[in-house]
Amino acid sequence: MSTGAVSPQHPAVPLRHRLNIDKMTPEQLAAFRAAMSSAMGISDERGYNYQAGIHGLPLPISCDVAHGRPIFLPWHRAYLYFFELALRDQQAGVTLPWWDWTTDRHIPHAYSERDADGHPNPLFCAKVDPIAIEQGAQGGDRKGSPTRREPGADGAPPLPSPKDIRDVLALGDFLDFTHQLEQLHNNVHVWVGGHMGDIPFAAFDPIFWAHHAMIDRVWRMWQLRHPSAGVPHRLLAEALPPFNMTVRETLDSNTLGYDYAVRSAGAAGTGSGTGTV
Amino acid sequence: MSVFVSEPVHNPAAAGEPEFTRADLVFYGVDHSGPSFEARIFLNSPGADLSTPRDPEAGYAGSFTIFGHAGCAGDVGHCDVPTGAADPFDVRPPHALTPQTKTVIITDALRLVTDPELTITIVPVKPGALSAELVDTLQFDEFRLLTYL
Repeated sequence: MSTGAVSPQHPAVPLRHRLNIDKMTPEQLAAFRAAMSSAMGISDERGYNYQAGIHGLPLPISCDVAHGRPIFLPWHRAYLYFFELALRDQQAGVTLPWWDWTTDRHIPHAYSERDADGHPNPLFCAKVDPIAIEQGAQGGDRKGSPTRREPGADGAPPLPSPKDIRDVLALGDFLDFTHQLEQLHNNVHVWVGGHMGDIPFAAFDPIFWAHHAMIDRVWRMWQLRHPSAGVPHRLLAEALPPFNMTVRETLDSNTLGYDYAVRSAGAAGTGSGTGTV
Repeated sequence: MSVFVSEPVHNPAAAGEPEFTRADLVFYGVDHSGPSFEARIFLNSPGADLSTPRDPEAGYAGSFTIFGHAGCAGDVGHCDVPTGAADPFDVRPPHALTPQTKTVIITDALRLVTDPELTITIVPVKPGALSAELVDTLQFDEFRLLTYL
């Protein structure tokens, strides 16, 4: 799975690989942080607050079409796809990392250190859209800015285990699989706590994206394991608002230009191109 | 936050019943409009509470977690789920707060219970200090215990 092609008219090109956050090189991590910092500094629709607000507040809460519904995985795949493009507009070549909470049972170091390389770490917290805060308070959900976490607090559900993932990967029906995977997803949101712990504010926390990349990765693994199973036909033409995509268009991550790898390293070849990042 | 204890239901794992390969507890009409919480499920453990361990010996069967909507941020009526028959020409997605279905796979836990009848206890748990208090947050229409051969 090293190349992808959108159509027969397009040549196969090297895919980008989303990497395990704990295995990124210092250069890869620095590039990702730079992209996040740049996006956080933009107040229009290219910026972090706009992207985070798509999921929850400010109204409308667009992910409401996805949670608890069979388009949970396609909707979030589209969401990550467009967010990753927005990051790449700021820093060429970056991809979203994934947090493997089955093996890294804490907030990953890259996200838990307050400062990085002598600057505030953009993965530690993010400012929250003031309109979102105002609307949340109106509904009784009083969150502040910047984002906070309360990982593994008393009463939090456990992080999913390797066995939990093996069990969901063994499910042969898509609707069964997505339902059970969404439950594990819910557990991680609530385990992280704070802004991540409820729908209106979750995507403002920078770790949201690494969590959802892991969920998307598990779906990718399930697709590879069950190549003849898939999303029910009746769902394929469903739109995924506000994204101009249908469920069908999310099914193959390679046509979206990415795949998952633990690590990635490369070097220039004999031509003028550079190695893959 | 009150604990839910069901009326006794027939136990499909009781002695003499057919073998099953999978058992699901399915909760219908689950409300997700409020804060997030975990709902821990215990079998034949009507006294279960926050201190009851997640052990099969204590009747623990699994849990579901509500990733909550955390209240209504809109104006009056914004979070009212429409009732009545849907217009067949209305292609809008369902209302955001349409109650959900939660399925918890309890195969292994159910096999440990051989009594002829079964009670289901659900303990809602508030996660951490930053989350909202739970006040009658656990709401659902009905549950079914399904086994598959």
